[in-house]
Amino acid sequence: MKKTMILIFALMAGNALAQNAASPEAFAQPMPGLSDTEREQFFRGRTLVRQSWVVAPSKDDQVDGLGPLYNRLACISCHPHNGRGRPPEAATERMLSMLVRLSVPGHDDHGGPKPHPAYGGQLNEEGIPGVPGEGRATLRWHEVVTVRLAGGEKVSLRKPQIKFAELAYGPIDGVLTSPRVGEQMVGMGYLDAVSEATLEGMAKETKPDGVKGRVNRVWNPETKRMEAGRFGYKCNMPTLRAQSAGAFNGDIGITSPLFPDENCTSVQKACQKAPNGGSPELSAAQLDEVEFYLAHLDVPPRRNAADPVVKRGEVRFAEIGCAACHRQELKTGDGAHFPRLAGQTIRPYTDLLVHDMGKGLSDRRPDGLASGSEWRTSPLWGLGLTAAVSESGFYLHDGRARSLVEAIVWHGGEATKARDRFVRLGKDEREALLAFLNSL
Amino acid sequence: MPVTSDLSSSSRRAFVKGLSLLALAGAAGAGRAAQRRDVVVVTSYPDEVVSRFEAAFEKAHPEWRLRIVWHMPHDALPTLRRPGPEGVDVYWTPSPRNYAILKGEGLLRKLDVDRSGLPGRIGNTLIDDADGYYAATETAGYGFAINPDYLKAHGLPEPTDWTDLADARYGGHIALPNPGRVGFAPVMADIPLQAYGWEKGWAMWSAITANSMLVDRGGTFVSDELSSGRRGIGVSIDFFVAAAIAKGAPLRFIYPKNGGVNPGQVAIMAGARNLDGARAFVTFLLSDAGQKIVTHPDIRKLPVRPSVYAGLDAGYHNPFAVAAAGGYGYDSDRGIGRLPVIAALFDSVLAQHRETLAELWAKARRVGGERGEQAKRLLSAVPISEADADKTEWQQAFANRRDDAKAEAAAVALEQQWVAESGARLARAGKLLEQS
Repeated sequence: MKKTMILIFALMAGNALAQNAASPEAFAQPMPGLSDTEREQFFRGRTLVRQSWVVAPSKDDQVDGLGPLYNRLACISCHPHNGRGRPPEAATERMLSMLVRLSVPGHDDHGGPKPHPAYGGQLNEEGIPGVPGEGRATLRWHEVVTVRLAGGEKVSLRKPQIKFAELAYGPIDGVLTSPRVGEQMVGMGYLDAVSEATLEGMAKETKPDGVKGRVNRVWNPETKRMEAGRFGYKCNMPTLRAQSAGAFNGDIGITSPLFPDENCTSVQKACQKAPNGGSPELSAAQLDEVEFYLAHLDVPPRRNAADPVVKRGEVRFAEIGCAACHRQELKTGDGAHFPRLAGQTIRPYTDLLVHDMGKGLSDRRPDGLASGSEWRTSPLWGLGLTAAVSESGFYLHDGRARSLVEAIVWHGGEATKARDRFVRLGKDEREALLAFLNSL
Repeated sequence: MPVTSDLSSSSRRAFVKGLSLLALAGAAGAGRAAQRRDVVVVTSYPDEVVSRFEAAFEKAHPEWRLRIVWHMPHDALPTLRRPGPEGVDVYWTPSPRNYAILKGEGLLRKLDVDRSGLPGRIGNTLIDDADGYYAATETAGYGFAINPDYLKAHGLPEPTDWTDLADARYGGHIALPNPGRVGFAPVMADIPLQAYGWEKGWAMWSAITANSMLVDRGGTFVSDELSSGRRGIGVSIDFFVAAAIAKGAPLRFIYPKNGGVNPGQVAIMAGARNLDGARAFVTFLLSDAGQKIVTHPDIRKLPVRPSVYAGLDAGYHNPFAVAAAGGYGYDSDRGIGRLPVIAALFDSVLAQHRETLAELWAKARRVGGERGEQAKRLLSAVPISEADADKTEWQQAFANRRDDAKAEAAAVALEQQWVAESGARLARAGKLLEQS
């Protein structure tokens, strides 16, 4: 096991909120040093990310074209303050920052999930006037396992059960489902800039504890090629641009140069006939602005990095094997889309590979090369700001973990040995490790 | 049933067995859930407001589900006029003009919900409809955002009222929303016009414009400019700035002596198909619980229920207390019709000549004496009288220009005339100052 103690320094400093890094706006600050023109572009992108989209036709023709089927009106509906969404706590609550991915067994033309013939790739609960929303998904939580940590502390783990109701387009039996909360949106430009060669290199490395990890190969709708996946819980999108355009299309029903078709299936006739907000609805220039904004969100500096407890936790993090996948340091490529992001050393605590995380976390829904139990190593930068930014603390793809301890204990598969070592850590050491995570 | 495990090697199987039970728990299927009825709400509130009310209302009333139709006020009327199955239950937005139009067309029903404890007025501003068709759910005050460190570094005092901003010392330090472009700014322009009078008010705006960088985007941009230390003062409506301060921005907000408020209101449509749901939502907005939500750091509006202030921080601005002490003299009824004229006038006479104004104001101050004063009078003049701004045909031309080609033509003709007249007047001032 690698036992290297590495001091982590703030990636960036000097933004307006550095003095109050635990602000809810910690994920919404521009990188320092943007020119006036770049700041303008950044703020235009921010406006689009915060925009509630309008049903077409509208006098606001730059932001019309909502739906016809959609989940929420704005990007920040599911990414509050650019942070994580949260799952409903009870079956009576709606999914307000969460959605359910759908597919049927098999693959699409590019090896991705095969959409459900009637409901497509995700359940769009809402429809514009005249277009029935697809239906309602509710979550019911089941406490399924209680794990005893060293010292006797018990951790109860819960898992969601999905139920569908008010289905408007026929039966949905046999569908594969995967509920997902919105992901935090900070640091994406840097991850976008990590080269494919770097990812492949990491996948080939021999790792301890039976850890493997592989690159998901996914379709890039812009280059029309299969490329390394970097974004999404299963690395099912290759670039920040594709990820953004895909979310506009899938979640809000906004077409773009990368996703020019409305999100209607062949049985959704009213959807097909609904007016659109232009072809495409999000222009290339607007997509540029969104991409620029997301790419240039400043990564918040760490807090309390020099605290002895935090430093001890950092050592434990590496010792017990977490850092085998949550790699603290990556280098961005020289050919990054945005020159400012090229050739940088970053501390995202991810390898951007998909790993088998065991049966407990499996959604039994393959996505590209990633099986149901394979998930992307979540970047951990900004993790300690989750509560301040998102006003909640729910982790993992479906928000099942109500604390970092639960999230860690849910790890299985390739992470089993690291998880077991965490469970066996004494209380003080466990808390030191958590203090380290909260400093990120 | 939960399985307990300590994950020791001997009990690993128990953990795996526990997880295998998840397969059953995770099975997807169609279920029967009690069908909830939609309450259709048209709004222009941003997502951080809408999402919070959605979550809180539906938690309090699981029998109803909000269905949000988002429209800016200038784009909302066609949807609100739509009858039948696609009709709207509730209109919830800050747009006094739209409520007046809808009321005039008979499209609103009287609000038959409990409104006790809601005064409906702040100072001289009536925030509820006098006839009871719509009521304020929140309000916001106008004033000055400041970056104290910036002002200290530049040796500038904190402004206390609008006239202070006309002082030459503030030249280049102010960010000012252009009322011709920014939705909340026409009322901002009108507050000093009412407080100091038409001519004196416009003279003051001329000097303030010369001191300012004009911004044509909303209030978050003003906060950004100040937080980044690029400007020291930003004229704004309070909630953009208060929300930024609550989230750590190094700013303060100063309410001027002559203040004004701008209400956001709610109404139930006459043709509401879900009347019970509409009443429940409006009641929730006006309730203690709803009024506390408007004070959330992301929203930071001013509650319209005075009793709510007792539970807020001592520093939370209480417009009812200020009004009780004689503040908030701005008469919103007086302003509402003329606001579109004032906005267009500001854009034509001041915003489009900002750089020239800055140059000539500086020169006039340098020249001084009678010639300097003469030039200042030319820089301060406004091409129309207060009575002109009250002309119904002018008000309608500017108010309806987006929807009506004739109105647009009339508005453009007036604007061209004002731009030309102002340009000529500034040229005269320039010539006069060149003679010095």
